Amino acid sequence: MAADGELSAGRAERLQKHLSACWECRSQTRELEEAIGDYVRLHRRRLDPMLPPAAGPRALLKAQLSELASSHTSRSWSWFDLSAWRRGLVAASAICIAIAIGLLTRWEWAARELRPDAPGVPVAIPNARLTPGVAVATSREEVCRESPPKNKMVPVSVQRRVFQAYGIDSADPGAYEVDYLITPALGGSDDIRNLWPQSYAATIWNARVKDALEDRLRQLVCTGALDLPTAQRDISRNWIAAYRNYFHTDRPISELSP
Amino acid sequence: MSDQPPESAVSLPLPERIGASRPPKSSTLEEEVTDLFGQLRDRLLRYLLSIGLPLQDGEEIVQEAFLSLFLHLQRGRSRHNLRGWIFRVAHNLALKRRTQAGGSFRSPADPAEASGDLLADPAPNAEDQMASSQEQRLLMAVLQAQPEQDRRCLALRAEGLSYREIAETLGISLGAVSHLLTRSLARLARASER
Repeated sequence: MAADGELSAGRAERLQKHLSACWECRSQTRELEEAIGDYVRLHRRRLDPMLPPAAGPRALLKAQLSELASSHTSRSWSWFDLSAWRRGLVAASAICIAIAIGLLTRWEWAARELRPDAPGVPVAIPNARLTPGVAVATSREEVCRESPPKNKMVPVSVQRRVFQAYGIDSADPGAYEVDYLITPALGGSDDIRNLWPQSYAATIWNARVKDALEDRLRQLVCTGALDLPTAQRDISRNWIAAYRNYFHTDRPISELSP
Repeated sequence: MSDQPPESAVSLPLPERIGASRPPKSSTLEEEVTDLFGQLRDRLLRYLLSIGLPLQDGEEIVQEAFLSLFLHLQRGRSRHNLRGWIFRVAHNLALKRRTQAGGSFRSPADPAEASGDLLADPAPNAEDQMASSQEQRLLMAVLQAQPEQDRRCLALRAEGLSYREIAETLGISLGAVSHLLTRSLARLARASER
């Protein structure tokens, strides 16, 4: 801590005086310094060969940053700064884009209507119109054939659309995780209508609690105690109510533990 | 009597100061974030690998962390200690990824996996090389036996983070960082003596 300047001047001075007088302490310090050297060498030697060259990831980051920056800049354009033919071109392009992404546009218009008044309000239950839940697997055999699949990371561009739809584009996306409403372990799709921003600020009904529900539902489905469509319907309608129902409790089990 | 300067028990490479105390080199935000990526990508990825994240997940999390940094700066948020900020974001994303993967990652630091080839010192003398490799295997075994939080502290410190940055990254107190680092280094030092 002294090396980081975290000790007061008085304590740092006392430490220096003590070390000057204490041979044993200096010996111990040297041993620790050697251990540090050994550890740093080991750390680097073990991990450096695993690092791929940075050029590719750097290029990918630059491309994504350009996309982010241009989307930001486009919001601050002035329509009247453009010449007439450019305005026509932009209008024509806008119409084409609107037609091409009709379904998505409809989804996002719905999102705007449903934005909460205060952006960034923690979302505990997804909005049913924005995130009704979409499944790709419809049979127990499909879901239970293999060990449960991992949730794939949602691409950043899709995450942004989800945040914008929920009206939290001005809040810190780091405070949320874009989660699957119907988990892939229950046959859930990576369609945007199956994705919602789950708040890290939720302290009781949080992601871990939902994970426990997902595990329970999958267990019930795979042992034949529950049919898959019911499990998918219950978790997508209101996962908190489903948790209460399937765990027979009003509060998460972890909250009840001492 | 030696004039050796006083050292704290743990004095891994001192961190560079990034962010508040140094104006950005680049004129645009994109360039600034790309510059930071150039400075921190290897350190960040090495840390993520050291806590057992698979390489592909690590690369994705690094990308996501830097995109979050861009958005953070674009909104005019605090520039205080950007390095600590990005390590904290990446660490939290890694924990989340681990939870999604069922609570465990395969550690790349398993002694069995850490073969002699990987640990071998490129010394020309075969005997020296073997001795060095054995020492490192022992060190690796001791390292692996340490609690996870101790290993995280060591890895972060080896990547140049200050005590305060480590505390913020892991969400623990400054005193706890000092205690964990001192304890784990004492164990490594005892292993080196054997």
